[in-house]
Amino acid sequence: MDILEIQHLSKRFGSTQAIDDLSFSVPEGSIFGFIGQNGAGKTTTMKLVLGLLKADQGSVLIDGEKVSFGETKTNRKIGYLPDVPEFYNYLRAREYLDLCGKITGLSNELIKSRSDELLSLVGLSKVTKKIGAYSRGMKQRLGIAQALLNEPRLLICDEPTSALDPLGRKEILDILSQVKGKTTVLFSTHILSDVERICDHVAVISHGKLMMADSLANIKANHASESISLEFKTPQDKEAFMDHNEIKNHFILKTEGQTGLLLQTKELLKTEALVLKILVDHNWLPIKFEVNEPSIESLFLEALQ
Amino acid sequence: MKAYLAFTKKEFIEYLRTYKLLIMGLVFLLFGMMNPVLAKFTPEIIKAAGIEIQLPDPTALDSWAQFFKNVGQMGMVVMVVIFSGIMANEFSKGTLINILTKGLKRSTVILSKFTVASIIWTLSYLFCFGVTYIYTLVFWEMTGLHQVFWTFFSPWLYGEFLISLLILGGVLFKSGIGSLLLVGGLTIVMTILSIFPQFHDTNPMTLSSDNMSLLAGLKDLNTFVPALWICLLLTVLVMISSVVLFDHKQV
Repeated sequence: MDILEIQHLSKRFGSTQAIDDLSFSVPEGSIFGFIGQNGAGKTTTMKLVLGLLKADQGSVLIDGEKVSFGETKTNRKIGYLPDVPEFYNYLRAREYLDLCGKITGLSNELIKSRSDELLSLVGLSKVTKKIGAYSRGMKQRLGIAQALLNEPRLLICDEPTSALDPLGRKEILDILSQVKGKTTVLFSTHILSDVERICDHVAVISHGKLMMADSLANIKANHASESISLEFKTPQDKEAFMDHNEIKNHFILKTEGQTGLLLQTKELLKTEALVLKILVDHNWLPIKFEVNEPSIESLFLEALQ
Repeated sequence: MKAYLAFTKKEFIEYLRTYKLLIMGLVFLLFGMMNPVLAKFTPEIIKAAGIEIQLPDPTALDSWAQFFKNVGQMGMVVMVVIFSGIMANEFSKGTLINILTKGLKRSTVILSKFTVASIIWTLSYLFCFGVTYIYTLVFWEMTGLHQVFWTFFSPWLYGEFLISLLILGGVLFKSGIGSLLLVGGLTIVMTILSIFPQFHDTNPMTLSSDNMSLLAGLKDLNTFVPALWICLLLTVLVMISSVVLFDHKQV
């Protein structure tokens, strides 16, 4: 079951085509990374999903229900954390959650119990100062708390970690991981290591167009080749290995320095066995043998090509 | 209804904690005290300055004339400046996006903001009136006043009209300057209209500029009725336009 379906969505601002025939869907229960450079159309897509902008073409379905511009019905199922969340500086965290809860129509008791629970989840339960005196990381954490207040089916976070220091980023990612299972998380980012840490599905967009969308496992399996790094004792060993019939005709080889070699393959296990067998048979025992997992950077760059 | 009350409460807290309520209160308290004192001592100030003008003894009417001069001009200016960010602050800071995605109706935002601004304006106006009233009683007998209710109701209604314009300006231009320009622009238009006597009865500005002639019994209430209706009608129309325009605005 898909909680969010985007079908042939297009949006133009003046002469700029911000979103161009974008289609993808977010499976329920996933942590979905929405990747793209700055200006790729991530925030625009999210605002279209929230009905804050009017789509030129295409449609957005939340849990099977169509989103229409200005209409707030589908938003009851969504929690939203804007890229730079702005709250009323003169309110306190609890007062802000109270306001949000009442707007959503929660009962007073529920607002109180959810506020307690969420403020301790995001580590703000002992903070009594006004929001105006918060650091960026604290605002971001309050942002997550307010987004989760109505127990949304889908949590949308717009670049939740981009403006934060490493510690702040870690805190946000930890909170998002904890939320997994309770709600689906869609978050946009251009920080690939964040995606690698917590996402199980990703979509990559560039200039408003979808470059790829799949589960991270599938993408890793299908898109980028894995590689083996070898470091030989002598350059002679390396050249002899590279000259071996079964090696030179079947793999892409990249020399790294005098004795280093990078071997790319689509079938890692078979290749590993073959390479090890050849090395042992000819007594070209390497000083290093390392399997490189495909990095998300290489996947990303591949998708953009 | 619950959402409306919650958002209205938030608006109140805003005016309280950003000291805007305090500033309004102090300014109108000051005006309230100044009006009778100025009326009482103006002849003596003029005499002390060595100017020989024969002035009649001041009366309660002079005190109320000061009241309408201060509240109708400086007071309205202060009120307009204080409320100029009524919509714009939410747009420029982006605070509204989050609230709207929670499912708050846009019309509720407009209505809440109008409610709170109206209450603050009404209280400030009544406060200033009360202070002037008490001090005026100290100096004079309260006699010779006509159409008291309508005299005081008129500038208040005009103030409501200005508040609705500030909201419309904020919705249209998403900036405080936009709100101020709309109010300023229309004030200039109405000032120019007030030069022509044939527009006297229909110009909303009459409500705040000429109501002393109502209090002094120089003009009949009938000459104010069209302006009262037009002002009320315009306020309602401006509010409806704000709601409709805001509903179609991309934020």
